[in-house]
Order: sequence, then C-alpha cells, then structure tokens
Amino acid sequence: MIDNAGWLLLWGVVVGLDLICVAQTMVSRPLVAGTVAGAIAGDPMAGMAVGVVLELFAFEVLPFGAARYPDYGLGAVAAAAAATGAPAILGTGLGVSLGLIVAFVGGRGIHLRRLRNGLDLERHVDQLEHGDLRTIYSLHLRGLAREVFRSVIVTALGLLLAEGIRRWAPLTVQGAVYLGIVTLGAALSAAVTGAIRLAGRKSAQQWFMLGLLGGLVGLMLR
Amino acid sequence: MKRGIVSSWFRLLLIQASWNYDRMIGVGVAFSSEPLLRDLPGGVQGRQYRNALVRAAKYFNGHPYLIGLAVGALARTEHEGVPPEQMGRLRSALTGPLGSVGDKMVWAGTLPSASAVGLLLAVTLSPMVGVVGFLVLHNIVNLGLRVWALSAGWRGGMQVAKFLGGRVIKLCLMVVGPVAAFAVGLALPLVGAWLARGLDMNALLGVGIIAAVGIVFARSVWPTLGGLRFALGAVALAVLAGWL
Repeated sequence: MIDNAGWLLLWGVVVGLDLICVAQTMVSRPLVAGTVAGAIAGDPMAGMAVGVVLELFAFEVLPFGAARYPDYGLGAVAAAAAATGAPAILGTGLGVSLGLIVAFVGGRGIHLRRLRNGLDLERHVDQLEHGDLRTIYSLHLRGLAREVFRSVIVTALGLLLAEGIRRWAPLTVQGAVYLGIVTLGAALSAAVTGAIRLAGRKSAQQWFMLGLLGGLVGLMLR
Repeated sequence: MKRGIVSSWFRLLLIQASWNYDRMIGVGVAFSSEPLLRDLPGGVQGRQYRNALVRAAKYFNGHPYLIGLAVGALARTEHEGVPPEQMGRLRSALTGPLGSVGDKMVWAGTLPSASAVGLLLAVTLSPMVGVVGFLVLHNIVNLGLRVWALSAGWRGGMQVAKFLGGRVIKLCLMVVGPVAAFAVGLALPLVGAWLARGLDMNALLGVGIIAAVGIVFARSVWPTLGGLRFALGAVALAVLAGWL
C-alpha cells in the first residue's frame, strides 16, 4: 500500500488548484509536485527524478488563452507514488509512464471543467445581466469546487494505478529498463522542441545553442 | 490607497476559477473588480454599481498575472463616469495585448527560465534547493507583476495602455525570450546527464535515438503530434518490447 495516500490525495488537490484556479504559484510544476509527493510517500529522490523528467515535458506546454494541455503536476504526484522505493531507472521509467497517462487524463479533465463552467454560466446569464453579485460569487465558487472534484478524481485514479502497477505490473526488468529509456529520450526531445519553440526567432535559437554549449562545457568540467 | 484594492488583489489570485470558453476570464474580472466598485455613487444597491458589474462580467481574456491592469483600469473608468461605449473599446483594446505580452513575458519567458534554474539547482545541489529556488524566482515575478498591474491599472484608467507600451515592458519582452532559451539550453545537458547516470552505453544510445526521433517527428514529420502523445506511443512500444 502507498504510504500516506491520504496526504498525497490532499497534495494532489493543492497541485490541481494551483495549476489554473488559485494563485498559480507553480507548485503544480512537476519538479515541485513530484519532489514533494516523493517526500510524502517516503522517497524524495524518486519523486524528484520523475519530477525532473516530467518537467522536461512541461517545457513544451504554452498555456496560451484557451489552449489545451496535459496536467503534468497531477501526473508527477502519481508518478512519484509509483516510483517510490523502486530502484533508480526502473522506478523512474515506470513512474513517468504512469505520470504521462495521468497527465493526459488530467488535461481532458481541465477541458471538461471549462465546458461545465460554460454550461453553468449559460444557466445564469439572466442574473449576470442584472449585475447580481451572488451569481458572480456562486459561479466562481462552483468553478473552484469543480477543480477540487477534478483534482480528487485524477489524483485518486493516479494513486490507484500506482498501487496497481507496484503490485501487479506485468513487466520484466528488461521491460522496465525499456520504459526508462523511452521516457527519458521522449522527455529530452520534448524539452528541445519546447525550447526551440520558446526561442521563436532565429537570434533566440542561437541563444539556445549557446546555452547548450555552455551546459556541455559545464558537464565536462564536473 | 484606493479602498478595496487589497481585497481586489487577493481576488485576482482566484480570477480563473470560473474560466469558460464563452466569456473566458470575464466572470473572474467582475469577481476581482467588485471591491473597487462598492463606493460608486449609490453604493452596492445603486444602479451604477450593478451596471458596472454587468459590464465587468462580459467576455474578456488576458494573462492572469497582468489582468490587474484591466481590472484596475476598468474600475477607474467606472468611477470617472466614462461612457460605456468608450469602456467597451478600452476592454477590446486591452484583450489582445494583455494576453500576448503576458504570454511572451511569463509562459515563454520567466517561467521556463525559473524552471531551468530550478532544475539546475536540483541536479547540482539538492532537490530542496531546486524546488525552493524555482518557487522563489517564479513567484517574485508572479506576485510582483500582479501588484504592479493592479496599481498601474487603477492609476492609468483610460490611459492604461501607456504602461503596457512602457520602456520596461518592451525591454523585458526583448530580453526574456533569449534568457529562457539560454537557460533551458544550459540546463539540458546537466539534467540529461543526471538522469542518465548509471545507464550503460547501449541504454544511452537508445535514449539518444528516441530523443532524435522525437525531435524529427516534432519538427518535420508530425508537428501537431506533441511530446506527450509521442511519449505515450513510445511507452506502448516499450511495454510491448518488454513482453516479447
């Protein structure tokens, strides 16, 4: 059984709320969400490892306007729960794979919540057109409640899957290593693609290359 | 200080709670402006207050960290008795720039920069230093921009555009993109090496091949696929290969 599952669920709600609805302090970034979830589950290093991999995926996300994007924060919570206690790359690969699935489901949940908010609004347009403050408050509160609901459902699903994977994953050690390799490779490709897209103009892309060069030099000096 | 501005600022932290595809952040704008509108002539029972809430809750979109500019400016125009048509024009004029400036500055600038620094600190020093470093860096920008935006919006009123087109903002927009690109570039080799520690040459070759295929897919073959779906496909193949 995953240690401190209740606390992880609570942390999932905090992470889910932070992503869009409350303050956006970015505790919902995978690096933070994963490391803290790992610490709650009893293995901060495993949490950080999955958080770092999912953070690389998050470089690709640009949450402009009505864009749809995966919820890597809740993905990181589930990933950390799955990776806790497993040896290095085996746990990371397995955890990140689960994290990607949860991130996808979480992203769909965000879209559904927005649709539900829209339906709620439609039902109360008349009151809004009369400047009714109570309607504004209640629309806002129900929006928050929907986010709590989404976070609870997605986190609970992630934790259940994590527990299932830890107990019954039909994987050989070789399979788990493969997972580690593909998730790491895909994360690096997402980060590079995201960075090139962030850079946009050619001059900024040159800054990216310069940074890359600096990183390689730093690596050699270490 | 304007009465209600602190309450309005705290409400800005929740501005996206009722976000929807119809009015986007509009209801949130009404929710956040409300404390600034309470002392309109006639008070909270007055017609002016209700009309102001109706206008505030219309369609609006903008970056959540900068939306205070609009909240402050629109509330100010209500107090100044600016004709509704003019307020409508201000609203429309702010929607695009508030979104694009904020997106460029934060989502494509300061956030990835802070994230890259956090990753670097995490893999070179300790997880806690990385997490705290990232959160501090990001939230200096997050909270600072929110404070500045609301106060500038209230001070600017109809003239709020001058703040968005100011020299500091222009300079920030020029600098943040290259800084983010540089920071992410700098972090990648060190983070990649940290993650790949303990892997043998064959595994490293595998990581390199997957990364290269992913980049080619995203840049040329299937640009709309996205990193997540590419990764899920690769994971499915890996599971299959692990079974066989």
